[in-house]
Amino acid sequence: MGKKELKVAFLLALRSLQRGGRSSVILTILIVGMCFTNMIFLPALFNGIGQSITKQVVDYEIGNVLVSPKSGDQYVADLGATLALINGMPGVERATPHFTKGATLKYRQRVLGASVRSISPTDEKQVSPLYTKMVAGSYLGQDDTGEVIIGKPVAGDASIRQEDEFQASLGGVRVGDSITIDYGNGYVKDYRVKGIYFTGWSQADSAVYVTSTDMALVDPKAADNADYITVRAKPGYSEMFIKNELIQYGVSQKVQTTSDLLAKSMGRALQSFAIINMVSLIVSVIITTVVLFIVITIKTLNSRRQIGILKAIGVDKEVIMHNYGFQVIILAVLGIILGIIIALLLAMYMAAYPIVTPEWSATLYLTPMDLVINSVILFCAAVVAGYVPAYQVSREDIQTAMRA
Amino acid sequence: MIEIADLQKIYRMGDVEVRALDGVTLDIAKGEFLGIMGASGSGKTTLLHMLGLLDTPTSGSIAIDGTDISRLNDYEKTLFRLYKLGYVFQDYALVPDLTVMENVTLPAMLRKDLTEKQYHDASIDILTKIGMLDRQDHLPRELSGGQQQRVSIARAIVSKPDILFADEPCANLDTENSRMVLDLFREINEEMQQTIVMVSHEDWHKDYFHRIIRLQDGKVISDGLTSTKSH
Repeated sequence: MGKKELKVAFLLALRSLQRGGRSSVILTILIVGMCFTNMIFLPALFNGIGQSITKQVVDYEIGNVLVSPKSGDQYVADLGATLALINGMPGVERATPHFTKGATLKYRQRVLGASVRSISPTDEKQVSPLYTKMVAGSYLGQDDTGEVIIGKPVAGDASIRQEDEFQASLGGVRVGDSITIDYGNGYVKDYRVKGIYFTGWSQADSAVYVTSTDMALVDPKAADNADYITVRAKPGYSEMFIKNELIQYGVSQKVQTTSDLLAKSMGRALQSFAIINMVSLIVSVIITTVVLFIVITIKTLNSRRQIGILKAIGVDKEVIMHNYGFQVIILAVLGIILGIIIALLLAMYMAAYPIVTPEWSATLYLTPMDLVINSVILFCAAVVAGYVPAYQVSREDIQTAMRA
Repeated sequence: MIEIADLQKIYRMGDVEVRALDGVTLDIAKGEFLGIMGASGSGKTTLLHMLGLLDTPTSGSIAIDGTDISRLNDYEKTLFRLYKLGYVFQDYALVPDLTVMENVTLPAMLRKDLTEKQYHDASIDILTKIGMLDRQDHLPRELSGGQQQRVSIARAIVSKPDILFADEPCANLDTENSRMVLDLFREINEEMQQTIVMVSHEDWHKDYFHRIIRLQDGKVISDGLTSTKSH
């Protein structure tokens, strides 16, 4: 096949699409576009959910790296020295300790079980964006005592009756109100609500935060112990780098990255997502292949006499085959472009209006590589679907074709 | 130019054997305007298809310019048709999605011995000659039958093939358009010394031919020059 032959094949393909049945061309492009969108939507949504969960886990639970007590220990001990060691390492933005106690919250007639987490507010600001999520009042100060910040679901809504609540709450606590916390160890204290926050991450939103200073009054162990330390990496430093560094520099506690923890907790879910993605991909590829196969088969069957004529006037069968091949390529490329546009529009829409559940909120997570890989897969399927009938009809002898 | 020896074409349909051509032997000289005439089913179109390399004979041989075409493979036959032969069909057989100009240039575009400028200029010349230049951007469906047949002829001769085959080119035309087409053939034949082999069953067409062979049941029953040639 020379340049001239390809040029003629392309001219025939282009003119057939331009001047042939326009509605069938538009419909085919639409179907390919929808198949592309279908191929990319579910994986992108699952990736979005995964990204959302990962981000929230990093932001509100464990940071990039979690330092927890080694096997057999109840707490991360020698807290001051451990924090100083971690904070001194390159790549560490900040490390901050957490100490959690189960407690009962009381407000007027309402009683609610909750986790009370103690934090070092100044350090916590460098590790978690919790301080940016205040919906009322203000964040904790470093040495605050007798003050607490609570999640919006914990605070509740005074306009909703207790029996109508989806999630148990204190029934409408407002900033400045006083709540009583009973720690179960005999320590009971009234706290002023300094602020109410809402992160969208249910585990954080159903908790209550006090300062480490305050917690040390509740449980003296909190002064030099922590349930765990969350570590935030500086931009450009990987979690694995920080983990290896901590181990190398002698942090004797258990050190795990977010990925380590998520792989353990979400491994089964990720496997399920992968299976669903694969099924979605295969179905889309099959639909595209079948549709294009049918379109080109109908086109070739309707054009058999014309194909015979073209061969009679000296047009080679390869030119005829590539004519239909180019038609498929053009349809597939336009369909894929349409699919990319639809996918990007959906991504933009979902960025503005994410899917929100009590556990997570998700957007479409699309990478250029996702678009490229799916485009290539669909393109290859389309080319096969188009060339098979084109090959068959181009091999037909002239007499048979012309009599069609 | 064309040497045909003992050409046979037998179609088998179950146990029935149909001899479409039965021992045709014939020579066609360069520059000749040959008419193949005969009743329907006499084997005219079958013979034309054999000569135009659109079908293969059951036995016998055809040599064009010394080339035994039975020795050519599929690809060589395609090239032979492209470079040596032109074809005009009864139903014009234009590509419906191409304009007049694109239809005319289509086979020439594939020829390696013609540049884009050469085949474009040749197409302009031939469209001017047949009076269709002002319709060069029209699609076939926007033309009358006579106009489509003129475009079909332009496509067949744009790259100056050695032999032009025409399979009942006036079958779908009225008398006026038929005469226009036949005049065009005559002009091409006289001006360009173009060999033309045309199938017809219209008796009045014989006035245009130099020579007429008549077929009956796949056999040549007469072969003679016409008064046109003697002029």
